Amino acid sequence: MIYAVFWLAQDLLTVLTSGAMQIPEIFLSCLVYRLLTRDWEVNIFVIWTAFLGGLLWDLRWVGIPGFFALSYVSVVMLVLWVWNALPVSGRTPLVIFFLFWTAQLIPTILSALLLGRNISEARWMLFAAQQGCAVPVALLGAFFYFQHEKGQNA
Amino acid sequence: MVDKRLTAEWIHGIVALIVGFFLLGASPNLGVLRSVVDFVGSVLSVPEYPAVVSREFLQDLYRWAKDKNDLTRQLKVLQDENSKLRITRSVLVAEQIKAELDARMEEARVTLREPHSWWNEFRIDKGFNQGVIIGLPVFQNGFLVGRVSSVSTFSSWVELLTSPALMIPVVIEETRELGVVVGDGSGSVLLTYIPEGRGIEAGMKVSTALISELLPPGIPIGSIADEGAASGSGYVTYKITPGAATSLLYTVTILKHSKGIFR
Repeated sequence: MIYAVFWLAQDLLTVLTSGAMQIPEIFLSCLVYRLLTRDWEVNIFVIWTAFLGGLLWDLRWVGIPGFFALSYVSVVMLVLWVWNALPVSGRTPLVIFFLFWTAQLIPTILSALLLGRNISEARWMLFAAQQGCAVPVALLGAFFYFQHEKGQNA
Repeated sequence: MVDKRLTAEWIHGIVALIVGFFLLGASPNLGVLRSVVDFVGSVLSVPEYPAVVSREFLQDLYRWAKDKNDLTRQLKVLQDENSKLRITRSVLVAEQIKAELDARMEEARVTLREPHSWWNEFRIDKGFNQGVIIGLPVFQNGFLVGRVSSVSTFSSWVELLTSPALMIPVVIEETRELGVVVGDGSGSVLLTYIPEGRGIEAGMKVSTALISELLPPGIPIGSIADEGAASGSGYVTYKITPGAATSLLYTVTILKHSKGIFR
């Protein structure tokens, strides 16, 4: 349910800005947060939630089913791979931030490069603006992660 | 256990990726795609409705603010333009009035000033044929010195400010107090009918009040010379220092009448 709320929030923000700027990937950040804080059964659920969320996004905004579904699943798999490869001592704030930032960077840069839209200077300005908004979202995700970890250790 | 978990995750991930690639490859050939996209759009239009309304409201707000900004800028430009036009118009009117006044100004020479009526009247060399009529104001150095009292064909008589027969309603410019200027027949000019306690001080300027078309308001006469003397009936009489040199009258200027200018 919480994933649907975040997906809808991202959708409503996109409607609100009317495509004037790209909204940060709130839904995917929520999934990454779940990946980093839950056990493996949830991970499989997260993989398929990412797929469905991406598919719904494709049907709502892109019109090419599979594009964002692939992007989201790729991000989830990448995060899972890095997370499992990292020793516990390597899970530093910077790494956590980069994992959240990956969720912002990959779908946006893929859509900018592959969807064949106007990759003009203005488009790259929009991309930069989106990343400008994405960094606080990534920081927020990292903050919530450490809050959660602190609660677990307390 | 961990390996089993990782394997399960990778299997699910790879399956999801395969399905994604399949959809991506097959989507151009899927006939129902358009219907599905429309269906998703129509279903989502319900929860998206508040966002659509908010977006329209924000767009309206932005347009309103932009329009207001544009209108304010245009208003400023128009105000500036209007100010310049007003100044231009004022300058043109002032020039027109000056030209008209110049045309109406007629210089006259004093031809007779009899000793027995020295402070009452004098004669000038302009008369009816030069457009002089009874009542016209006569100036010296830009100050009122008297009014035309009688006219003949080639000459006229001017009643002096110092004459007790000439009474001119005036205004004290600093206080807008009204009074009457009258001569005493022996070289002095007095300001009368000023109520006591009005704060009149020496040096205040006196000019004509609105009397008639022949003697327009605002013509300077002189300034108050002393503290004034109470008459006992609640009024004070002040001595006036005339701007015109009433004892040195060789030439004067007549302001001829022209209908329209002081309407």
